[in-house]
Amino acid sequence: MKRTKHIQSSRRSRVVQDIISAVLILYSLITVFLVGDTVLSSFKTKSELIKNLIGFPQSPTLHNYATVFLEESFWRYILNSGLLVFTSLLFLLIVASMIAYGMAQYSFRGKGFLRGYLLLGLMMPVQLSILPLYLMMSKVNLTNNMWGLAIVYAANLSFSFVVFYRFFQEISVSIIESARIDGAHDLRIFGEIIIPISKPVFATIGLLQFIMIWNDFFLPMVFLTHKGSQTLTLAIYSYTDNFIKNWDKIFAAVTVALIPILIVYFLFSEQIISGLMAGSTKE
Amino acid sequence: MKKPTLNRAGSTNRSYLYFILPGLVLYSVFVIIPILCSIYYSVFEWSGIGPMKFVGLKNFEYLLFGDRMSNVFFNALGNNFKYLACVLLIITPLQIFLAYMLFIKIRFSRYIRTMLFLPYVLSTSIVGFFALLVFDGNIGVMNYIIKNLLGNQYTQAWLGDTRLMFGLFVGIIFWQAMAAGMMIFYADMQSTSQDIIEASVVDGCGELRRFFSIILPNMRASMTTNLTLSVIFAMTMFGQAYVIFGPSGGVDNKLDFIAMVFYRYAFGGTYYGTTDIGFGSAISVAMLIIILALWFLTETIIKHVRE
Repeated sequence: MKRTKHIQSSRRSRVVQDIISAVLILYSLITVFLVGDTVLSSFKTKSELIKNLIGFPQSPTLHNYATVFLEESFWRYILNSGLLVFTSLLFLLIVASMIAYGMAQYSFRGKGFLRGYLLLGLMMPVQLSILPLYLMMSKVNLTNNMWGLAIVYAANLSFSFVVFYRFFQEISVSIIESARIDGAHDLRIFGEIIIPISKPVFATIGLLQFIMIWNDFFLPMVFLTHKGSQTLTLAIYSYTDNFIKNWDKIFAAVTVALIPILIVYFLFSEQIISGLMAGSTKE
Repeated sequence: MKKPTLNRAGSTNRSYLYFILPGLVLYSVFVIIPILCSIYYSVFEWSGIGPMKFVGLKNFEYLLFGDRMSNVFFNALGNNFKYLACVLLIITPLQIFLAYMLFIKIRFSRYIRTMLFLPYVLSTSIVGFFALLVFDGNIGVMNYIIKNLLGNQYTQAWLGDTRLMFGLFVGIIFWQAMAAGMMIFYADMQSTSQDIIEASVVDGCGELRRFFSIILPNMRASMTTNLTLSVIFAMTMFGQAYVIFGPSGGVDNKLDFIAMVFYRYAFGGTYYGTTDIGFGSAISVAMLIIILALWFLTETIIKHVRE
């Protein structure tokens, strides 16, 4: 990214800018408050919540976490979410990187058409395919099943394709051709030379899709109707659906779901933001 | 400029197929074919099992003119458009403004950018939880504070108040998703030629003039991207409204959207009468037609502005 040279400003506009800064910092406290209050409240009992909703817990207790993990088997949802994200990412990264590489490094007839065909997925609302997809999956018993959903995520490769494609176009053919002279098969070249030098783009796409799949609500809601196969997002939804009844437990549940995402975000926020930009801006 | 590729013209090397086929098959089977199926199903009456009965455009006719249906559909569609209008008139200008603030590097830009973007990585159900935490009529933070500071009589129903709920919803979505579009604008501003900006500084061009006569006219690429994304986002609105207001959009269906109508008819099953695959597909096809029409409209407008 290019660094913008500092633009000279008059003193008056500097003051205006500082006021805007201050307003935005105040605005950011909304987020700080929401996260902070959720974490703090997860250590309060139900009776304390009524008297003390926005303060520090007076007698911190792990009771809510015990209920959520032991009685409501939250470990199960965490496991489901984790496995779903892991398998989906594995499929998606392999399939999307290969097709993007094939398109970027080879020329063949119909390539332009194929590119447009692959980009269609960016515009199509998920509602348009979900009904036939559901019928299809239930026919082969892949609903309520992590594998079925992982395949669907891997098939929705348009966004990842765009980012991979841009990256692979930059790779010089000469690297590959010299490996070819040594007699290596094209697939082996991809696995042993291309993937290692492309780690950053794999990491970026992996990160973005991790967030997307971990957070996804619609597809799991349609495909995972049995309680035992549900993800963390769905479990939290079922708490919010009956908000007053689950009031005490929900803070602990949300905290559990929130912390991993926040850690990932604060560690990699630059990469996440610039990766999203890479997939959405046109040249 | 044409880039050299691995197989020269006339070569018979077909190893590109190894790379392309797995993805192509997966994408075709699980993304494209279902779309075609939806379009096909939309002209049938079919419950998902048993025989399919061809009904022509009857499903669409019922959607648009059906006794109870047309009210539901047009109410939802109206909400989609109302939301889109809010995005274009309120959210987009704010995104451009905030992007410009980051571009000129106001104090604490880095912190502000990180914090503005944070809610974007939270899941729909967590955002829904936050909305309830703040605005729930019985136990929400807003009423808790009002009760303790001003007294009981000033508390509001918030999300259950027909005058407030739409505005609150737009605010919630703004909080969650605004930063993505903002960053797209920001990236585009950064690609503005540095020379032009420096020349304008030398010429003593003011902050405001610089923005309107140099930065803004150079943002066509991000405008196009953001407009397209906004249209798709607004027309497929589902998760947040579903989680916060329930499956039919809360009091008076004020926040019912087409995607929710679709979900009720396609998957609602016992709650909302029989599941009708044909009719559900017709709703999703209607969504597609509306999106394509709007997309075409925005493309035409952008081309017009360019000339």
